Amino acid sequence: MKDEIIVRRPQNLTELDQILLENGNSWTFVAGGTDLLVQKQVWQRATHVIDLTSVTELHQQVEVLPDKVRIGAAVPYTKIIKHPFIKENFPILCEACRQIGSIQIQNRGTIGGNIANASPAGDTLPVLSALDAEVLLGPRQNGTFTHFKPSEIMAGPGQTRLKQNQYIAFVELPLPAKEGQFWAFRKIGQRQAMAISKLSLAVLGWMDDLLTIKEIRIATGSVAPVIQRHAKTEALLNGQTLTEALIEKAAEALKNEISPISDIRSNATYRRETTANVLKDVLYELLMEKKK
Amino acid sequence: MIVSFKVNGRQVDLDIDPRKRLLDVLHDDLQLISVKEGCGEGECGACTVLFDGQNVNSCLVPAFQADGHEIVTLEGLKKWPGFSTIERAYLEHGAVQCAYCLSGFVVSTVAYLKNQTEQTVNEDQVKYALAGNLCRCTGYTKIVEAVKDLAEHEKLKELFAEDWPYER
Repeated sequence: MKDEIIVRRPQNLTELDQILLENGNSWTFVAGGTDLLVQKQVWQRATHVIDLTSVTELHQQVEVLPDKVRIGAAVPYTKIIKHPFIKENFPILCEACRQIGSIQIQNRGTIGGNIANASPAGDTLPVLSALDAEVLLGPRQNGTFTHFKPSEIMAGPGQTRLKQNQYIAFVELPLPAKEGQFWAFRKIGQRQAMAISKLSLAVLGWMDDLLTIKEIRIATGSVAPVIQRHAKTEALLNGQTLTEALIEKAAEALKNEISPISDIRSNATYRRETTANVLKDVLYELLMEKKK
Repeated sequence: MIVSFKVNGRQVDLDIDPRKRLLDVLHDDLQLISVKEGCGEGECGACTVLFDGQNVNSCLVPAFQADGHEIVTLEGLKKWPGFSTIERAYLEHGAVQCAYCLSGFVVSTVAYLKNQTEQTVNEDQVKYALAGNLCRCTGYTKIVEAVKDLAEHEKLKELFAEDWPYER
């Protein structure tokens, strides 16, 4: 039993890519382990494991670039929550990370893991979608990473389009304009901590002083088998002045646009109604705030 | 595979089965029996330990990830001068019953007190900090009260700065 598993702990990206390109093994990647070690069968069956927390760039790096930030896929949530630049420019991401599991989970869990695990209830996923995130996949081909949108990686519950031995290296977030920005991340679950979401909603948008919505992005989690942006509801709101009538119309539109599932945590009817109500709540709150 | 890490300030080098969880190594191999298995899936917090000064569920950490890092369990916290203050607060508030969850709670309490940055203490912060630990006896109220008291304890803050015997 003892030596049936090979573990590699590469120190940097070059070493990591070398391991993956040098032989024909099928590697299992582990970062925080907070999902993988719960899936006991997957963990017990793995024969070749690469620890991504040993790769400095992936585990430690949050790189602030002129027009975006590049976060190592194996950086723990806690580090993201506490990072001054992310706190300042991506409060919606901090909020989603703060609502994941518990402090213990946040101290180990990672965004890369959230994407790779591909749970429809992955709390950072609707936020990444609303932020127009790019996901960078390795190993690098001729020195460059493969780029994907988070929604393109997720194929279904627990299913990704990642190829064998492809790993999530970084998540890049374009810097959103600050002027007139509004955002919200809401999660509905059994209890505040630890609960897996029945549904989650991420809203990011920009509005001028006359309450005209310049742009709005709406994404939901846990509602459908994959994370979704809701282009129809977004289109109905874009360019419009925020009024009570418009909010009611948007909630109706979202109700029609989503195709919720029924599962162990909730049913489709509840999800449809509640998702629309949560959007309503977010927009009414925005309206109240602006009218003050 | 060989892993080398610090436990409660002591350097250990072990030859382990790579599938072992940090929990298995601490509890079974090193006989640090304060680290208990509850749910084994990161829900209950009974196996909470400090990993480089941050509280983690040791049931979800592959033991090889501890290589090169510092682990502190309740056994190690007992050697720290501030421990008696924490012990007293838990006892005085009646926050201890069957105590299966207790070591995990105390480790999370220490992590919270050590890492907290807010100037004022409120109940929500304490509850948020302890949300990863379940207790089926006390009903939480007494634990939250005890930790709130501790968070306002000035001497304890100084102790973390002066006498913390572990790295980070």
